[in-house]
Amino acid sequence: MTVLGIETSCDETSVSIIKDDKLLSNLISSQDFHVKYGGVVPELSSRAHLQMIEPLVKQSLDEAGLKKEELDVVAATAGPGLIGALLVGLNFGKALSYSLNIPFVSVNHIEGHIFSGFLMEDKPEFPYLCLVVSGGHTLLLLVEDDLHIKKLGTTIDDAAGEAFDKVAKMIGLGYPGGPKIQAYADNGNPDAIKFPIAQLKTKYDFSFSGLKTAVLRHIQKEFGDSSKIPEDAKPDLAASFQEAVVKALTNNVKKAIDKYEVEVHSISVVGGVAANQAIRKSISAIAQNRSIKFVVPEFQFCGDNAAMIAYRAQKLYENGIISDLSANAYPSLPKDIFI
Amino acid sequence: MKFPLKIVAADETETIDLAKKFSGVLKPGNTVALIGDLGTGKTFFTKNVIAAFGNSEVSSPTFAIVNVYETKFKIYHFDFYRIKKVGELYDIGFDDYLADSDAITFIEWADLFPEILPEHRFEIKINSIDETKREFIIESL
Repeated sequence: MTVLGIETSCDETSVSIIKDDKLLSNLISSQDFHVKYGGVVPELSSRAHLQMIEPLVKQSLDEAGLKKEELDVVAATAGPGLIGALLVGLNFGKALSYSLNIPFVSVNHIEGHIFSGFLMEDKPEFPYLCLVVSGGHTLLLLVEDDLHIKKLGTTIDDAAGEAFDKVAKMIGLGYPGGPKIQAYADNGNPDAIKFPIAQLKTKYDFSFSGLKTAVLRHIQKEFGDSSKIPEDAKPDLAASFQEAVVKALTNNVKKAIDKYEVEVHSISVVGGVAANQAIRKSISAIAQNRSIKFVVPEFQFCGDNAAMIAYRAQKLYENGIISDLSANAYPSLPKDIFI
Repeated sequence: MKFPLKIVAADETETIDLAKKFSGVLKPGNTVALIGDLGTGKTFFTKNVIAAFGNSEVSSPTFAIVNVYETKFKIYHFDFYRIKKVGELYDIGFDDYLADSDAITFIEWADLFPEILPEHRFEIKINSIDETKREFIIESL
């Protein structure tokens, strides 16, 4: 079965083709279309998606060595995300499936991330604990099988990725925050400053707003303001902040493995922030300690990408879940998040 | 509640209290512009206004640019922090959200693009006094 997936929920336009579990193409606008569009990171806009979607679909088919008539299923992200951006991919996908007279599957973006570990050679085993860490989401989930996901915890304020971006700006490290913090943290002492780790009453929830404010207060107290932080103080600040995020994440992961009533067979960390080495390392250590399999997607499947959408669509289709052409975009994560 | 209002909230509990009271003056079609540095509690205040309308699961809209909530009223919760130029806002249909007279719109970091704000709005400036103490200046424009 050959599935073409489209992802346009936020900044990235991405198109991917999967054939019988094998990835044939995964194009991501910011990585593959720089040169063509003058080397500028495309701005946040529906128009940018509109400009890129058709050439990306064509190039994706070329790369896969397929004609569009050889596709079996077309899939697109329906939400959550920016409505204007989502509608571009969703409507393009629906029109393509209609013109080819093949089924259309609409996919929840977060479900795409949750199952992105299956794009790897070594796949997660059900039931598995899944930590979704991205710019917009921080979720701890129990994935029982392809169709059953239980939410254990979520962030009550900022997402982990957002904390990375905002703190990087406070320290004066620039954008994107994640890689900058990581690079500075490599040369710093993670125990130099003790930043607070939120202890929440709700067992598996997260909070990063207090940490962000604590870093700000520390900067104000020690240096006056952000612009006066000496270059040699930055690595310790970055390392200590990163350590607090790692601890907040690992505390809940440990708790869930040790206390939750279901015995998990794997742990998977997914989403853009899963690219962070310190987070990968510490959660992999937890897994190793307990002899549980650890799966983290390779970098191209961590950030927003269409490969995970195509993969998820294939699973939904195999389970008889397809959408019709009235499928609509939705901006927020539905309350009962998953199927 | 009378505007302009200048009030100091000593801690989170008093901020929650102020948010609850402020929720009472809001009607569908209103826009609330929030202005304050990182860590002053724009999201915290907004979260507690929206909680008063019946949704307690509100998180930061920084990455998503806008979160939509169905409560007693429809809520659009914007954040301009990640926007690089005003054209991006037009492009994601900011006008259409604002024109929705059934919804209440909150905008964090509203001062980044003052030119796009509606003429009639509530404007809330938040200043940090110390770790928990905040000064709120609320105007009805």
